[in-house]
Amino acid sequence: MYLALLTKKTKMTSMEKRLQKELQAMTKDPPAGVSVNTNSLSSNLSEWVVDIEGAPGTLYESERFQLGFKFTSRYPFDSPQVMFLGPNIPVHPHIYSNGHICLSILTEDWSPALSVQSVCLSIVSMLSSCKEKKLPPDNALYVRTCSKDPKKTRWWYHDNSV
Amino acid sequence: MNGEASSSSPQSQTEDDKKSPNDDDQHGTYECNICLETANDPVVSMCGHLFCWPCVHQWLETRPHRQTCPVCKAGISKDKVIPIYGRGNPNPQDPREKLPPRPAGQRSEPEATNLLHNFGFGGDSNFQFSFGIGAFPFGMFASTLNFNDGRPGPPQPNSPQQAEEQFLSKVFLWVAIIFIFWLLIA
Repeated sequence: MYLALLTKKTKMTSMEKRLQKELQAMTKDPPAGVSVNTNSLSSNLSEWVVDIEGAPGTLYESERFQLGFKFTSRYPFDSPQVMFLGPNIPVHPHIYSNGHICLSILTEDWSPALSVQSVCLSIVSMLSSCKEKKLPPDNALYVRTCSKDPKKTRWWYHDNSV
Repeated sequence: MNGEASSSSPQSQTEDDKKSPNDDDQHGTYECNICLETANDPVVSMCGHLFCWPCVHQWLETRPHRQTCPVCKAGISKDKVIPIYGRGNPNPQDPREKLPPRPAGQRSEPEATNLLHNFGFGGDSNFQFSFGIGAFPFGMFASTLNFNDGRPGPPQPNSPQQAEEQFLSKVFLWVAIIFIFWLLIA
């Protein structure tokens, strides 16, 4: 299906054009442990699902997770909404049990030079540097009270170690 | 991590495959870091990152209070990007309707190199002597240290104007010497 999308050239918005380029690059030369689930792509590319795999030699070795990406028409000036999907959500001090991720590049440190690929690699690397699988300390409260959109959370980034 | 990827992944390419001429690779160097297309109305930041002017302008508008380079997070601003002018204009249809024009290039004049050459009082020298009375020790230094600081150039050699100026500068020199002498004995 994505091949059909790749050949569609007429009347693309700048967001579609850019996502098209990223998709092309990621399917042609996929980074380690990251693959786009091409069946998940919506027709204007505004929603993606990316399968990621824990890096070898880490606590999450060969565990598979799904990341959901949602892009607004202002992408890449506006950051994508990124969260873990499905039944298997990694237990990690910066990942809430509803799939929300506390990662500064997803909100205030976003830059239009980042991409789906760099976000995926950052998340894989965040998993890799984890020393102990445990939930965020405020998980229970957060999951009960948060908005459905993780971008609406006022994240407070303080722990640079993981 | 990448090393393992290329050895384990079935799609990995050999070195030769990667070097083979390919449209994407050839244009990669001149791709805008935001839209990933070949840069259109290119500008380059002081940190060396290339963007389309419309793209980087939109990014600067997005975060007016924290203007950073999308690639390296160095501080950037509208005044600190350099437009790149290639030869000719391959895209005459310009997409900048709503945008301000690209910032102009900053052209500085070559620096004058003859600062202390031709030092002397006679001939067609560039030496100019001026004298002023200010707070005693400071004014004196200021008055003696401004060589060739952008005043009208020396007049034509052997013209009456030159002779007059030389005479005046000698008069002032003597006045200055007498004044300093007077200060010393007073």
